Amino acid sequence: MTERQKFPIPSAEREDVEEALGLLWYQRELGVTDGATLRGALHAAGSPEGFDRLVRHGFVREESDHVLLTSSGDELARDVTRRLRLAERLLTDVLSLDRSAVDPNACVLEHTISPEVTESICTLLGHPVECPHGHTIPPGECCGRKDGRLSPIVVPLSRLAVGESGRVAYLQLKDHPELHRLLALGVIPGAPVHLHQTFPAFVVEVGESQLALESSIAARIFVRRAEESKIS
Amino acid sequence: MSEARSPSDRKTLILLGNPNVGKSVLFGRITGKYATVSNYPGTTVEVSSGVSWLAGEAWRVVDTPGVNSLYPSSEDERVTRDFLLKDRPEVVLNVLDSKNLARGLMTTLELVEFGIPFVVALNLADEALDRGIVVDAAALSRCLGVPVVQTVATTGEGMADLKRAVERATVATVSGSATPEIRRSLEILDPLFAKGFPGTRAVQLALLAGDDTVLTWVGAGSAPGIGEDVLYKAGQTERSRFARPPRQILFEGREGRVREICAEVVTVRGKLAPRISQRLGVWALRPWPGFLIAGIVLFAVYQFVGVFGAGTAVNFLEGTVFGKWITPGATWVVEKVLPWEFFRDILVGPYGVIRMAFSYAFALILPIVATFFIAFGLLEDSGYLPRLSVLLDRVFRLMGLNGRAVLPMILGLGCDTMATMTTRILDTKKERIIVTLLLALTVPCSAQLAVILGMAAGLSPKVLGVWLFVLVGTTLATGWAASKILPGARSTFLMEIPPIRRPLFRNIWMKMQVRLAWYLKEVVPLFVYGTLALFFMDRWGLLKMAERGFAPVVQSWLGLPAQATEAFLIGFLRRDYGAAGLYSIQKAGFLDFRQVTVSLVLITLFMPCVAQWLMMFKERGWKGALTITVAVLVVALGIAGVLNRLLLLFPFLVS
Ligand SMILES: [Zn+2]
Ligand SMILES: [Zn+2]
Ligand SMILES: [Zn+2]
Repeated sequence: MTERQKFPIPSAEREDVEEALGLLWYQRELGVTDGATLRGALHAAGSPEGFDRLVRHGFVREESDHVLLTSSGDELARDVTRRLRLAERLLTDVLSLDRSAVDPNACVLEHTISPEVTESICTLLGHPVECPHGHTIPPGECCGRKDGRLSPIVVPLSRLAVGESGRVAYLQLKDHPELHRLLALGVIPGAPVHLHQTFPAFVVEVGESQLALESSIAARIFVRRAEESKIS
Repeated sequence: MSEARSPSDRKTLILLGNPNVGKSVLFGRITGKYATVSNYPGTTVEVSSGVSWLAGEAWRVVDTPGVNSLYPSSEDERVTRDFLLKDRPEVVLNVLDSKNLARGLMTTLELVEFGIPFVVALNLADEALDRGIVVDAAALSRCLGVPVVQTVATTGEGMADLKRAVERATVATVSGSATPEIRRSLEILDPLFAKGFPGTRAVQLALLAGDDTVLTWVGAGSAPGIGEDVLYKAGQTERSRFARPPRQILFEGREGRVREICAEVVTVRGKLAPRISQRLGVWALRPWPGFLIAGIVLFAVYQFVGVFGAGTAVNFLEGTVFGKWITPGATWVVEKVLPWEFFRDILVGPYGVIRMAFSYAFALILPIVATFFIAFGLLEDSGYLPRLSVLLDRVFRLMGLNGRAVLPMILGLGCDTMATMTTRILDTKKERIIVTLLLALTVPCSAQLAVILGMAAGLSPKVLGVWLFVLVGTTLATGWAASKILPGARSTFLMEIPPIRRPLFRNIWMKMQVRLAWYLKEVVPLFVYGTLALFFMDRWGLLKMAERGFAPVVQSWLGLPAQATEAFLIGFLRRDYGAAGLYSIQKAGFLDFRQVTVSLVLITLFMPCVAQWLMMFKERGWKGALTITVAVLVVALGIAGVLNRLLLLFPFLVS
């Protein structure tokens, strides 16, 4: 099932629809379902005729005062929310963009990333559960493949348990003088890591070198957990 | 053996590699016992050099400090890079850690760009084997296009092959790792450089990586009419064309290449059971049993330095060698040869150069400092010190420092002057100032420590307890206050922990000699000047005047006898000298328990010695040094005075 089959309407309009559905999803999370309030919210978001358009496309129907998402509307809303929040995570965690740059860029990205890319991003980030704002990221197919939810594959070194192993996924050390020192010490994506201890300082084995570092650096080294320790 | 070349135009071989790859042991193997250690011009970086017979002639062999990258981010790395660009050695011996090949090869690929012939030593082959890692030397040689020799420097395995390989050193054939966009930038930079200058690639890449320190050494390398400023601008322009930092792109390119090479040459079999040394290395890092191990190590060091060095060895040298032979002998000779009493007094009088300066320097200080440097060398070479840094990191954070500062502080227990110089290893100016201050204020040097322990020995253990409590408290409080007052942030703790290794005594002996020579060169003249100063002050009655002048402070505020002034005055010349002065006052029975405690605290906290003071000016500038001096004076007199009052109120604390 590709994006186009799911929603065969022109792209500018598609973006507006996705935006509107995302807003409805968010309002529903907050517990808001009454028609008048939602119409007002869409209006305030700069889309006065957005609600009617959603009804026209069959994504939304009204029952008495309440607004309900149809099954296709629910699916798309959930999908766009997932894409937006994953994009936020990506921009924040991997590219270390500033908060002010994250929101507008994530809002553009959410409409352009394909389902396959969404899944890759989700896997790369270790199937994150929350966006940087603290909202729930709706889980995708990739997230719950085996028995229920898996613990994240990519976690900061500081959240690894003592004795756990993995490989460096990425470093989040934007403009940090430590970055090059870490790289030169062999902390590079793909390098195997093993956490020996966390107190008084973190001690990790990276490749064949042993490094001592403090938690603020450990929190910026993201590690893909080894397979055997993936299921929590 | 006639030498065809004079020493100055001997061919040069430099050793280059990551830290902790056994470079210095290998250096010792190549050069034999004749090596000299000197500072690289304008820096504190120690560089050892020696001579070796290679390929039928005498070569100058230089051991450079360990580096993680040739795009320098520390003084050590800059010195090594400068060696390659400025001195252009005939051959580089690239030492790699066999068990950690990928990391070493990252530097090798940087080295390739310098266009200097090199040879690779795959060292620590034994440690690699323990971990089931096998490196195919022949395959690596094919990948790089230079000779590769497997070595175990500690046992001397592979040394003959290595020496022979120097003859076959060539410029590497391994391709650089530049991506298309990097290559485009290099082509744009090319016309700015002279044709055929072998270091061009390295300089260009350094410019792209944003390392402008490289410009100092371009010199003959740039095209006619092209100055440093043009190159600087060109580098900036090229850098700005990249969306991502070129340094990162270059790194990733090399990294990919290293992965390919490792896939071809490294085989990993099952690990063998960890050796006891590896287990010990892990234990020493954990709070339990880490602190217990630290306690045992500390106790062993105390036994060796405090009991054997400061006790047995000093007693023998002072009591027997000087007391029975040298001083009486010198007195006899002087009295026979010199008819003038003035000159006799200068040499063998109570403030005489031989009686006081020489016996202090050689009988009292030498054995203590020598044993300390042996102990320090053992801790250093066994890889134990970084483990202490890990254990103490949290405590040091209270003082705006991190575990890295443990090293200069421990070295300070040997010689504060040397330690003040070592503050350069710290990352920020703020940390360097704090450590310099603490070294000047609270860290007693080994010689002083020995005299202090000697003074406290016959008294109640409470005296030592109060002294230690005040000292640790002052260290923490001063560090904490300084970290709040000084602007700037603490740097984060990141440190490599080398494996625990059995130290080679030969190496420690060599290092001890170098340090000791440095120390004596500094100490003996100062002792002589100090003794002369005292001699004249005594003769002209200045000593009595100073005693009267400082009486209000010394007698009322500190509650000490007037003679103590003399000890504090000479304490400025040498810390231990002052302590020794107090010792003699105590022996003469002029001090009670309270006064001993107060003077021990004061002599520890009080002014650093002249040498350390001068080093402070050199390292921190006159403003920093003066501020620290004032701070030390105020804190030392303040705390000692308050302690005096407290002990007057609660005498049971020390008796
Ligand atoms: Zn949007
Ligand atoms: Zn969000
Ligand atoms: Zn997922």
